Amino acid sequence: MDNQTILELTNVRKVFGQTVALDSVTFSLRRAEIHGLLGGNGAGKTTLMNILYGLYRKDEGEILHKGKKINIQGPKDAIRQGIGMVHQHFLQIGNFTVLENIILGTDIDNRYTMKTQNEEKKILDLCQRFGLDVDLNTTIDTLTVGTRQKVEILKALYRGVDILILDEPTTNLTPQEVDALFESLRVMVNDGLSIVFITHKLREVLSVCDRITVLREGKNITTLDRKDASEEVFVRAMVGDKMDIENSIYFATDQRSSFVNRLDQAAAFEMSSVSFINKDGIPRLKDVSLNIHSGEIVGVSGVAGNGQRELAEIVTGVIPVSHGKILLDSKDITHTNNQELFKTGIAYIPEDRLHDGFLPKANVAQNLILGHHRNQPYSDGNFINWKTVFKETREQIKEYNIKTSGPEDVGGNLSGGNIQRVLIARAFSMPSQLLVAHNPTRGLDIPSMDFVYQKMLKRREEGYATLLISEDLDELIRICDRIAVIYRGEILGILPRSEFDKYAIGRLMSGIKEENPATEEKALP
Amino acid sequence: MTIVKKALPYFLAVVASFIAAGIFIALMGFDVFKAYSTILFTSFRTPNGFIQTLLKFVPLVLQALAFTIPLTAGKFNIGGEGQMIAGGIGAAVVGILFSSLPAYLLLPLVILGGIIAGAIWGLIPAWLLYKFNINEILTTVLLNFVALALIDYVCTGALRDPGAGHPTTVAIGVGGWLPLFMKNPPFHAGIIIAILVAIGVYIYTARTTGGYELIATGANPRAAGVFGIKVRRMFVLSLLLGGAIAGLSGAIEVAGVQHRLIEGMQSNYMVLGLIIGLIAKGDNRVVPFVAFAIAILEVGASAMQRTLMIPVEMVFIVEALILLFVLLSDVVRRK
Repeated sequence: MDNQTILELTNVRKVFGQTVALDSVTFSLRRAEIHGLLGGNGAGKTTLMNILYGLYRKDEGEILHKGKKINIQGPKDAIRQGIGMVHQHFLQIGNFTVLENIILGTDIDNRYTMKTQNEEKKILDLCQRFGLDVDLNTTIDTLTVGTRQKVEILKALYRGVDILILDEPTTNLTPQEVDALFESLRVMVNDGLSIVFITHKLREVLSVCDRITVLREGKNITTLDRKDASEEVFVRAMVGDKMDIENSIYFATDQRSSFVNRLDQAAAFEMSSVSFINKDGIPRLKDVSLNIHSGEIVGVSGVAGNGQRELAEIVTGVIPVSHGKILLDSKDITHTNNQELFKTGIAYIPEDRLHDGFLPKANVAQNLILGHHRNQPYSDGNFINWKTVFKETREQIKEYNIKTSGPEDVGGNLSGGNIQRVLIARAFSMPSQLLVAHNPTRGLDIPSMDFVYQKMLKRREEGYATLLISEDLDELIRICDRIAVIYRGEILGILPRSEFDKYAIGRLMSGIKEENPATEEKALP
Repeated sequence: MTIVKKALPYFLAVVASFIAAGIFIALMGFDVFKAYSTILFTSFRTPNGFIQTLLKFVPLVLQALAFTIPLTAGKFNIGGEGQMIAGGIGAAVVGILFSSLPAYLLLPLVILGGIIAGAIWGLIPAWLLYKFNINEILTTVLLNFVALALIDYVCTGALRDPGAGHPTTVAIGVGGWLPLFMKNPPFHAGIIIAILVAIGVYIYTARTTGGYELIATGANPRAAGVFGIKVRRMFVLSLLLGGAIAGLSGAIEVAGVQHRLIEGMQSNYMVLGLIIGLIAKGDNRVVPFVAFAIAILEVGASAMQRTLMIPVEMVFIVEALILLFVLLSDVVRRK
């Protein structure tokens, strides 16, 4: 293999307002390699690559392409230099076909007739060469996330890039799809392409990358060959010296022995045959039965958009149950409104923190009591005891490591990760029978994620029930007692901890039950 | 330090608008310094000036609160004028129908009549919003016109005062008049009511759970709803409160100033109320202070017109400029 460097970023610096996102970061990419860009949330990985792709301007530093200094003003310049990027959120037009989406924005041979045989041939050729199996004539809307990602990769390849940046490509893929993606990447590299693989998942970079660069808090920590370094070196590089890795849950490799089966305990929460039909008459939850015992963490796994949000909102009383029954502590709460539920013992970390969970115009203290504002000790029912609220807020700012100037700071001043910490502090600050946490660690760095896991396990010790809905399968496997897999609004299976298997869960996530293999291919309306 | 920092943009905005308006006053050929000293010091030079300022303050602060309370919940009440008229009608009708009642009965009834009529005028858009999701800006503005037609009907109808040259009702019963602190100039007790309302609003929004829910609703209705706040009820409540306070300002105008219903009594209080509310950035605590400052300008403006022949509209321009500069300072700070 040819080891020449084709791309180099030197001393790149980027400042957003007060925060230094990147501080003299250096990065180099060789021909025909998969280069992992590893780091926790907020480490600056995506920022660095967005600069390379022309979405952000760098404040300082240089970009060298094949030894020549280049100036990238926008994505168009980047593509002209042969640099393509696949974002976490796909930029596709839902009711166009795959082919139309791929050639959108490029010149085609027959401009006026819109005949695209030549283009089609070229794309089919690419599909075959790299093992990207897509039907070009289906519309995007009907495809799974995994296939849509292939379309996004094809889009870049069709534009003739030889450097491909993938931003967290495995989010929302089933383990099977991840394997297929890695295979395709390997083929591309063997063909001479270079790939930058942005991720926060250590295991993935270790399994697929040739070289790995670790970023932390906007600084370049190290670049190492996969072969030359052990997992431990990368872990240390990712989290710094402060974190206690020995006792962490995030990096725990062995099965924790303390997991005792809680199934003999009484069920704290029970939902039986619950359905939800939305305003347009479309069923989003079908016959969902799920119970959570005291001191148990039940996970819900699934590809995003399969009814997880509806499940969370049904349990927290935000949307009404269409059919079925829900019991909390043997009390029927099927039709209890959410004001009552928050009073009597439900805590909630919503998925969409900005829209569903946060008051940007209110201050941090006001944000922390949202939902608990009628409960002791914050309120006597009529008046809010701001003295207590502020005292509590100050303590929580410290405990949850929220970066803010104080309880009176306006919520809008907080960064995404700190907003998430406020939501977490709010959910854990009050004792609750049931915690519903939907993607609670999104946007957090590794020590903070670990902190959340510790808190959840503490709830478990104290005998409270937790419903953890997450798109991160590793997260679920780490701390759950049981995992339920949701697919198109149905629970396809519930696995106890002893039967946790990534691939088995992955099969269920894509709708394949053991007894009847994938025959149902109806699109979700 | 922080208070100085917070007040600085306001101060600069005031200075900048005075300079800008001063240029025009100078171009029109008037003495700028004389004009400004009249505007600023009339309120403090004589006891009469100060009393006039306090009287002006009453409707201004109430109109501003009628705007900022719904704004706290994220709703725009542009119907303060209509609600004030409705309140005036309510107060006048009660005051005329029961004119023989003694003061300890009639006065509370007159005030209550105004509050209830204003609240009803606020409830209509609130209900339309609750039931049919109709934008409250539209309905509150349109109801202003309905109220204008209604006051015309009342003032020229059965309750008309035939001796008056202007559409006016007959006087309400003497028992419905607000007591006076002073006969000459007439200084009625409305100021007490206004201050009590301002304090009440402050306590409600800043200290109570209900007020917290109002703030949370305004800050992010979706999140407030997810966490158990009945958002749509908060919208209704806020518009109802706004209407009631605007109605109160109408009742005070009838019971304290005119002692009858006069077409045109609403003056331009609503627009000034909006300006006050916006300069205060919707903060209910700041509203009384801004309202007082605007009252000073308003009283000074009349004096300026009397003594220097400069049109009062000049002061309106100054007020509008202050608002513009305050809003501008926000944009500048964000940059």
